[in-house]
Amino acid sequence: MANGKDYYEVLGVKRGASDDEIKKAYRKLARKFHPDLNPGDKTAETQFKQLQAAYDVLSNAEDRKLYDQYGENWRAVKAGAGAPPPPGWEHAAPGPEPRAGGFDFNDFDFGRFRSSGGGGGFDIFEELFGGARGGGPTRGRGRDVEAELELTLEEAHRGGRRTLQMQNAEKTIDVNIPAGVRDGSTVRLAGQGGAGANGSEPGDLYLHIRLRPHPVFTVKGDDLEVELPLAPWEAVLGANVEAPTIEGKVGVKVPAGASSGQRLRLRGQGLHKRSGGRGDEYVRLKIVVPKEVSAEERRLYEELKRVSQFNARR
Amino acid sequence: MWTADFDLDEPLTFDVVAAIVGARRSLVVRLAQQGLIETVNNEAEAPLVPRRAVVRIRRMQRLRRDLGVNFAGAAIILDLTRRMEQMNRELAEMQRQLQ
Repeated sequence: MANGKDYYEVLGVKRGASDDEIKKAYRKLARKFHPDLNPGDKTAETQFKQLQAAYDVLSNAEDRKLYDQYGENWRAVKAGAGAPPPPGWEHAAPGPEPRAGGFDFNDFDFGRFRSSGGGGGFDIFEELFGGARGGGPTRGRGRDVEAELELTLEEAHRGGRRTLQMQNAEKTIDVNIPAGVRDGSTVRLAGQGGAGANGSEPGDLYLHIRLRPHPVFTVKGDDLEVELPLAPWEAVLGANVEAPTIEGKVGVKVPAGASSGQRLRLRGQGLHKRSGGRGDEYVRLKIVVPKEVSAEERRLYEELKRVSQFNARR
Repeated sequence: MWTADFDLDEPLTFDVVAAIVGARRSLVVRLAQQGLIETVNNEAEAPLVPRRAVVRIRRMQRLRRDLGVNFAGAAIILDLTRRMEQMNRELAEMQRQLQ
């Protein structure tokens, strides 16, 4: 069963629903929860998994008949390990029978990968075709696997070695992530998908990169943008201040007369580019004022108000 | 240690792509002719398909299988989903800046 839920409930149909009604209900819910339409949404992924499990059984006349009769124990009956088979099923071959298309939900692994080398999550959201419905490689080549790998901006910038471990298996993979991957990039690990049949080549592992939002930097292509607060007197008089970059702090010379919103370019302080070199960092100035001032500061501001010819609204 | 290929620019023939995705060559040719997958021009021979198209074709196959849409519809869905993702990211970034 789909995590203990009734398959008919999962699809939202009555037990006597026709094949067309079941298909229609499946399609409607698949449009809502399909992983390709909800990238990165684990809840949708789980819902879709349940949906597919339910549809796979209810769309097959033989399996549906067994399910209707034996409920959640239907697979055991089919495999010959549970209650006696229903009339007419005595001669059925024991064990799972590959159907047309060869799909068995138990082969459809949404298992989790986790990274043990840097904190990023690594989630399989679908294994493809190597036995799934709808056809696939025909020459025994192993199934390809797609997964998402979440990285911090720093990890994406510098790249480096990651150890990825599938949670539901012993398999671990050491991966060298190239420097400069971006949100939405896909990288391929040749031969790290499913094993091939009868000595055929294994499938590939495709990792779709997702970048976690960064608390300080905004990514704009190869460039980074960061906000730099300035005291009013630093903006008026100019100042040498420190600004964060992806590789640490650097000194920045703020020109006298700087305004909020003005951007200063730090050439070559952005992200690594695929083609080599680095993008730029843009420091966006933001003048901030103290919420509380001492008596002396207040006196000086009053004095400034008295002598200044400046009109901010002219 | 496995080094990940970056961005999947490697050009593949229609035959190779067809074998990888478990489809007929004619389907891959048709998708390319209709502009549903990108191709790389080859001066002397037939156009080639960058490896990243493999991922796109598979998604289109899944959408066709699970939602019943045709390949043209699947391509539109994928393009719109990508744009929506990008807009969501920009929106989240703007919200973060406003806070």
